[in-house]
Amino acid sequence: MTSPATGRSLGLLVCLDCRQTVRGVTARHMRCPRCHAPLHERKPHSLAVTTVLVVCAAVLYVPANLLPVMITRTIFDDERDTIMSGVLVLLHSGSWPIALLVFVASIVVPLLKILALGVLLYTAWRRSPRRRLQRSELFRMVEFIGRWSMLDIYAVSLLATLVQIQSFASIIVGWGAWAFAAVVVLTLLAARTFDERLLWDKPQHD
Amino acid sequence: MSVIVCPACDLAHRFTAAPASGHRQCARCRALLQRRENPSIDTAIALAVCALVLLVLSNAYPLVAMQVNGSSRDTTLIGAALGFYAQGFESLAALVFLTTVVAPLLQITTLLYVLIPLRRKRRAAGQNAVLRILTRIRPWNFMEVFMLGAIVALVRLSKFAHITPGIALWSSALLMLCLSALTSQTSPEHLWRWVERNRE
Repeated sequence: MTSPATGRSLGLLVCLDCRQTVRGVTARHMRCPRCHAPLHERKPHSLAVTTVLVVCAAVLYVPANLLPVMITRTIFDDERDTIMSGVLVLLHSGSWPIALLVFVASIVVPLLKILALGVLLYTAWRRSPRRRLQRSELFRMVEFIGRWSMLDIYAVSLLATLVQIQSFASIIVGWGAWAFAAVVVLTLLAARTFDERLLWDKPQHD
Repeated sequence: MSVIVCPACDLAHRFTAAPASGHRQCARCRALLQRRENPSIDTAIALAVCALVLLVLSNAYPLVAMQVNGSSRDTTLIGAALGFYAQGFESLAALVFLTTVVAPLLQITTLLYVLIPLRRKRRAAGQNAVLRILTRIRPWNFMEVFMLGAIVALVRLSKFAHITPGIALWSSALLMLCLSALTSQTSPEHLWRWVERNRE
C-alpha cells in the first residue's frame, strides 16, 4: 500500500497561526516567513503536556463536584449548593429546560471531555490505526463544546454580585467554583496543546 | 506554492482556487481546508466599529437590576468580575474579566488597528505581531457563554426577586452576534490575504 503524501513526507510545514504551507528547511527555531510565528513540525511535547493537563483536570473534577460552588446565607441558615444541587434547585423551581442545560454544560461536558481526551491521548500514544476519522471528529467536538462549561461560573459571578442584601440574603462563592473553573480552563488548554496530527501519523519504520 | 497541507492531519493537497460553493474540506480528516474567497475588508471594518460601540454600551450601562423587599441592586459586566474579586477569588475575577471584557476589546481594537491602514494601502506598525496577538486572544472570547450564564442566573433569581433587564443585557446580546459575524469575516486566511494583497 502506498502511503498518501503528507507534509512530513514532502518536507512541508503548515503554520498554525496563519495556515500557510511552508517549505521546512531547518526544523529548529524556524519562523513562518509570512507571520513570524514559531513553526514546529508537531506541537512540541504535545502528548506529555496534554497528559499533565488532563490528569490535573481529572483530579480537580472531584472537589469541583463535591465542594459547594456557592453558599446562600439568609438570617435563618446557610444553604450550600454544589453543581448538582444547583441543577436540582432549577428542576424543582419548574424550569427544566434550564436545569437540563446546566446539567449538560456543567456535569456531562467536563466529564466527557476528560474521558475523550484520555482516549485520544492513549490511542495517539499507541499510534493506533483504527477509527482515525472518528477520533479526529471526536477531537473537534471536544474543541467546540469545551467553552460552554464556563456557563456556571458566569451564573455564579452574577448571583454573587447581585445577591448581597444584608437583611435578606447574601451569596458567598465557594471553593467548588474555583475547582470547577480550573477544570474547565485546564481542559481548554489541553485541547490546545494536543496535536491532532498525531492521530494520523504512521509508525516510523527504521 | 502549489501544495497546501492540512493543519489537522498533515495530508498534502494540490492547491486549487476554493470552490465557489463555499468551503473545501480535507479529503482525509474532513477538517476545513480552504474558505470561500473574496471577503470584504469594508464589511469587516463596519462590523468591528459596530462591535466597538456595543462593547462600550455593554460596559457603561447596568446589565440587570434586582429589586427585593424595597431595596435594589444592579451590576455591570465588569461588576460581575468584581463580585468574585470582592470575595477574595482574584483568579476567578481575572478569568471572568479576561473572557468577557479584555478578549472582546482586544479582538476589536487589534482588528481596527490593522485593517484601517490596510484599507488605505498602508501598513500598521508591528502589524504581524498584532495579528498574532489577535489569533491567540480570539479563542478566549466567551461572550456567548456569558449570555447563557446570565440567563441561568436570572432564572434562579426570578423566583424571589423582581428582575429588570438593563440596556447592557440587550447590547451584550447584539455584541455576541456582531462578534461571531466579525470572527467569520476575519479568519486568518482572509486577514493574511489582505495583508499579501497590500504588499503587491
